[in-house]
Amino acid sequence: MAGAARLTRLVTDPIDVAGLLAGMQTPDCGAVVLFLGTVRNRHAGRPVAGITYHAYARMAETALARIVDELVAATPGLRLAIVHRLGAIPIGEPSVAIAAASPHRPEAYAASRQALERLKAEVPIWKRERYADGGEAWREEEPLGPS
Amino acid sequence: MKVRLLAFASAADAVGAPESELELPAGASTAELRDELLRRHPALAALWSRLALAIDGEIQRGNPALHDGAEVALLPPVSGG
Repeated sequence: MAGAARLTRLVTDPIDVAGLLAGMQTPDCGAVVLFLGTVRNRHAGRPVAGITYHAYARMAETALARIVDELVAATPGLRLAIVHRLGAIPIGEPSVAIAAASPHRPEAYAASRQALERLKAEVPIWKRERYADGGEAWREEEPLGPS
Repeated sequence: MKVRLLAFASAADAVGAPESELELPAGASTAELRDELLRRHPALAALWSRLALAIDGEIQRGNPALHDGAEVALLPPVSGG
């Protein structure tokens, strides 16, 4: 069933990918691009047992909404959803899901990519990797700037 | 005045708590906040140049004044996705 043209959510339970896709599909969209970022089993060659995601929820919600609003405003016909999961996530499960729907494929592909790249640079969320050998470490990669 | 300090990722480790309260002189600036934090938590010094600082959910540049009850957040480089 089609929902709103834009959706952002932080969740702690497993992401409902099928529900997310169904919410973005409409009869006038001939293209739907689904991106899943999943928890990988190694980082720089070191076996990873799982990742715990932390967020500054207040700012993360605002930043996700800004990204989706700006991409939808810039792209006629685009429908876009970003869901990020927080807390401890096992290997192989999605930490982020992005669904982009548009009348034709170029806009959906482009919006999917832009949404993810902007999420990685603009949203205050952090990974803490738990390694198979017992260690843990924060991953800190993209400095935040003023919005 | 009191501000609520939120620290994330490595900044939380350096401060020793993700959330705390800090007493500062009325009208203190973010530079005074920084000096006080580095005095209390020397481990923050190595991180400070990489941190973004948000007041009430907005990232700040320069040296704005704080207000009583402000929510101040220390934000290391992010790694969502």
